Amino acid sequence: MNPIEQLSNRQLIVVTGKGGVGKTVVSATLGRALAAAGRRTLVVEVDPRENLHQMLGTPPSGGAIVPAGPRLWAQNLKPRQVLDQIVREQLRLELLTRRVLDSPIYQQFSTGAPGLKELAILGHALRLLRGLGEPGTPELDTVILDAPATGHGVTLLASPHLVTDVIKNGPFARMAGELAELIADPVRCGIVVVTQAEEMPVEEALELRTALRARVSRDPELLVINGLYPPAPDEKDQENELVSLWRRRRLLNEREVARLRESWPGPLAELPQLALDRGPEMLATLGQCLAETGEGAWS
Amino acid sequence: MELISDQHPLVIVVGSGGVGKTTLAAAMGVLSAKEGRDTLVMTFDPSLRLKQALGVGDEAKLREVPVALDAPGALHASLLDASQTFDRLIERYAPDEESRRRVLQNPFYRHLSGTLGGILEYMAVERLFEVAADGRYGQVILDTPPTRQALDFLEAPARIVGFLDSGALRVALKPWFDEEGRLKAASKWGLLGRRAERFLDEVVGMDLLRDMAEFFQAFGPLYEGFRERATQVEDLLRSPKTLFVLVSGPGEERIPDTLFFARRLEEAGYHLGPIVVNRAHPRFLVEGAPPPSTDPCRPTGWELLTWAGERDRRGLVELAKLLAREQPLVDLPLLPEEPTDLKALEALGRQLEGRLAEWERYVSRSS
Repeated sequence: MNPIEQLSNRQLIVVTGKGGVGKTVVSATLGRALAAAGRRTLVVEVDPRENLHQMLGTPPSGGAIVPAGPRLWAQNLKPRQVLDQIVREQLRLELLTRRVLDSPIYQQFSTGAPGLKELAILGHALRLLRGLGEPGTPELDTVILDAPATGHGVTLLASPHLVTDVIKNGPFARMAGELAELIADPVRCGIVVVTQAEEMPVEEALELRTALRARVSRDPELLVINGLYPPAPDEKDQENELVSLWRRRRLLNEREVARLRESWPGPLAELPQLALDRGPEMLATLGQCLAETGEGAWS
Repeated sequence: MELISDQHPLVIVVGSGGVGKTTLAAAMGVLSAKEGRDTLVMTFDPSLRLKQALGVGDEAKLREVPVALDAPGALHASLLDASQTFDRLIERYAPDEESRRRVLQNPFYRHLSGTLGGILEYMAVERLFEVAADGRYGQVILDTPPTRQALDFLEAPARIVGFLDSGALRVALKPWFDEEGRLKAASKWGLLGRRAERFLDEVVGMDLLRDMAEFFQAFGPLYEGFRERATQVEDLLRSPKTLFVLVSGPGEERIPDTLFFARRLEEAGYHLGPIVVNRAHPRFLVEGAPPPSTDPCRPTGWELLTWAGERDRRGLVELAKLLAREQPLVDLPLLPEEPTDLKALEALGRQLEGRLAEWERYVSRSS
């Protein structure tokens, strides 16, 4: 079974890892591949600066859910939108809503309360999966969350636990409870960690796994090692500056992949660096590469 | 463009995650010490390799540790660890033992200190200020946190002052809860107030609100000292002597990020020095390369490196077009390996200096 088949029946897939390793590329690649396999899929990016649309070749989402191909949608999500929406639904009274939303206490609470923003992101995914989105929202089988690059990757996944610690009742507490269950359930939720075969990203991927075990009591589904240089030629007679740089970058990659293979217990997928600009063609090729990886690891 | 010089007692290295900020900061520090200055490199979260290169361990989290560098200036390194410094801040500004204890034991604070990024980042700036104020160093090189929003770090003092002045604290300082632990305002607002109270209880739970109100009250006595220091830190960051170095990754896709950072820095009134496009693939003139691969998932290194060299070159040219002519812009090549010792760091520092000198010659020639 390849990684795409393995992930194809998940409802929620959280793609996480250090900033700059290619989380958004992997999220978009998975999105396209799952949509092609028949799943109605939404890729959600949480970043004030939009990148996803560039790769999918669509106009910017501007916060809305926009079509990005057959059975595929994309959204750039602002967590604050979701929180405000919850307050609106709870209060229903315009005057009071405004009073609450404008009050410094709420402002501070919604930005400062531990885990609340992260909870809102996950909660948004859950509502869409349950068909509780705004009118006109497509029916979805899978939501892929491209986790925010800020903070530690585990913050998002641990937020339901954190919130249930400080908030005991009410809608946030209920939502947090449901989300904690969803995240703990490997049948419904997949966690994909993206890294590159360099020292710092590998270090962080390993730390992330330890943190996931400690804080949400589960392992990630898949580790994607992104951006590998191709295997270098053996022949010594071809040595020139290009080959020398290639060889040594590849060596660095191999050293780090070996370290991962030793300490990462789950399946790994290796993705090559491609001679292609970010865009739909790159995603299509990476999807193909991803489908070819992971034989054996999944059996 | 004198980057490593007495004119800039403070150099701040900013940029997105994974572009090599920390290594460059260390390289500049080594060079500065080689030139005879007592230098401090302050960094967040360096790689093990870099720590080994500098020869420092976790003890640098607590104090400035000397680096065994053979140079006329003394080089020190210090690792910034935000979670430890937050407690220290409370210790420092609490006017008495009772205030200190109240804040540190507050359940909201315990959660807050672990998760609230802004204040943690502020703490790093705070430590920087201490070092800059005591004047022991001829040059301080500061590496900023490995987040996409490295600017959050710089805006932390302003944000904290803003928050303290916004009235949120004053509002919070009012005795919100009566003796029975009920919201006082709720009774004043009548029906609306009772509804608000029920809402707050249902949505967030009164316990959390009580903890928060308690936290802000406990924080009250710390307010003045905190505010004053934050304002001084702001002044230091905006001083014309404080120079920012913006590090970026190569390739056209990084340009929007780089421009965004550069604009934000200038809008905020910081002094932007050079923009360094780091780890650019060199361009190779290849003759007699093997034919390209037919499998798109397995490009040859010949194809990949030639393509990446062109892409990164294009990125640099495009970026130069979008920047003001007087904006220093240099690129540094992707190294076969990250520097693993002080010699390699010095070489990298010299390379950066050399590229800046070339840029200067180029600009003066073409004007």
